[in-house]
Amino acid sequence: MKSELKKLSALINRNVKLYFKDKMTFFVSLLTPLILVVLFLTFLKGVYANTITSLLPKGIEISKSSIEAFCGGWLFSSIVAVSCVTVAFCSNIMVIDKINKSIQDLNITPVKKSTLLISYFISNFFTTFLICVIVLVISFVYLACVGFFLTFSDVLMLLISTLCMSLFGSLMSSLVGLFISSQGAQTAVSTLVSSMYGFISGAYMPISQFGVGIKDFLSFLPSTHGTILFRQYYMNGVINHLQTVDKVPSDVAEKIRLAFDGKLILFNTEIPTWALFTVLIGSCVLILGLYILFSHLSKRKHIKESIKSKNSNSF
Amino acid sequence: MTNNNVIEIQHLKKYFKEIKAVDDISFTVKKGELFAFLGLNGAGKSTTINILCGELAKDSGKIYVDGMDVDKDISRIKPQLGVVFQNSMLDSKLSVFQNLKIKAQLYDLSKEKFKENLDLLANKLEFQDILNRPLYKLSGGQRRRIDLARALIHNPQILILDEPTTGLDPKTRILVWKLLADLRKTTDLTIILTTHYMEEANEADTIVIIDSGKIVANDTPNNLKNKYANDFLKIYKFDKTLPSLLKKDKIDYTQNDKMIEIEVADMNKAKNLIVKYEKLIYDFEVLKGKMDNVFLNITGKDLKEVTL
Repeated sequence: MKSELKKLSALINRNVKLYFKDKMTFFVSLLTPLILVVLFLTFLKGVYANTITSLLPKGIEISKSSIEAFCGGWLFSSIVAVSCVTVAFCSNIMVIDKINKSIQDLNITPVKKSTLLISYFISNFFTTFLICVIVLVISFVYLACVGFFLTFSDVLMLLISTLCMSLFGSLMSSLVGLFISSQGAQTAVSTLVSSMYGFISGAYMPISQFGVGIKDFLSFLPSTHGTILFRQYYMNGVINHLQTVDKVPSDVAEKIRLAFDGKLILFNTEIPTWALFTVLIGSCVLILGLYILFSHLSKRKHIKESIKSKNSNSF
Repeated sequence: MTNNNVIEIQHLKKYFKEIKAVDDISFTVKKGELFAFLGLNGAGKSTTINILCGELAKDSGKIYVDGMDVDKDISRIKPQLGVVFQNSMLDSKLSVFQNLKIKAQLYDLSKEKFKENLDLLANKLEFQDILNRPLYKLSGGQRRRIDLARALIHNPQILILDEPTTGLDPKTRILVWKLLADLRKTTDLTIILTTHYMEEANEADTIVIIDSGKIVANDTPNNLKNKYANDFLKIYKFDKTLPSLLKKDKIDYTQNDKMIEIEVADMNKAKNLIVKYEKLIYDFEVLKGKMDNVFLNITGKDLKEVTL
């Protein structure tokens, strides 16, 4: 047991080093967040600022710092939510090892297959969480510059949400990674995840702007639940500020909150925060179960072939 | 299984759909032996090795390593194997030291033992000065030396070399074989080699030739040459009438500016020719047949042509 833990630690160390040494992989995994920043700076920030002011009743004006903080919070809630998944998919060393065949060299060592798989998952989770925490810190610095309205509880919950979403992203990546063994498949999956995930999780644009059918469909996805969690904790403080300091009426503040996905509404019912967490953690448990099942099946397939060979020997 | 056999393979089969990659092969490898596995690409060598390492499931047959069944005891077998793959499988972004250290940790090597083995290998394979360099910055020869060091870092009993010296410069090739010879002498290391280089196979204690998944020959290099390859009488200095006499006697020969070469079935035939033309031959040598000819005569395929 002790020896297996030492091997696990050596493997995790290796996987993390490999990720950070490969500048290309590191850069690609940050591509989606960077695209979001560029989109935000070029036009999204203006669009969202206009949307907020258009929702305000005549005679009410809100401070520039409130708008900046609101838009910044919205941007960073998208960036962190998307990064938790895209970074996990791009930093999956198991897939890289399968593509460049390094896994063959690991398979001939006396390391249990389960130890190897756990090492891939833990290192993937660690790198994803680390990078997302860095993004989180950057977001706090940005908000501190333009207007910081987060409470200690918001910061803590953002950290917990990042942990849960990194876990979700890493488990998804590990599960999908079991079925990828070629560069072509990896490119296809990375491209799909990078381009699609932002849409299906409501990170690129608020899901309130989608049609009813799509909105309901997206609201079912655990990824959307994760994004909404970030939205809530990034925007709660600034919306409170709008109401208390900028004197925005509560119904208007609520409209703004809904327009920017500050709440998840499913079949006209508001989904409470605990339910968002439950869905996210439940999904993690489900994916973990599938991951264990499929890893086990691939192992069984190997054993089954050996047993088949034993039977044929007896003839 | 006799005590002297470190590997015993019985009726091994592996089919990939209709392709018979390995088709009912059996052979044994003795402890401390240099065992060469000859065959063209796709003949079944790498498949056999992958099954032996527990990397690939077989369809049928048995493999024992040091008396242990690969099906049941693979975790006990793995520490005894060191493998140099056809292509380097190490982490190119990591340094030589990091690569070797991680692999040593996976074999449960203590820090002291790792240091001792690393010093020995770095000294013998001359890579002390590149220990901190990432692998992608190394030349092909340097990288191959690190592959070999990785395979030996945990003191395996059996070293599997899958085309180990392909693309190596002559100096590195000599270095590699010198280390292997030393290890065989000092540690009784068993080496299983797959190669296209005939001179390497020539050094083996036993050669198995595999063709289309089947073993077509299994013997010592000398016996194989005696059975399957003709010898050569090379005449370097001769009387100018010799070529016309050979032609007259209907003896096939090839001639260039410097010598006449006559292919003969065996040493006796060569001796008879020398005696017959004794007065016309001033300088000569008789060479045993080459492994290329053995391979050609057994499989009908020219190893040189196919592998070039």
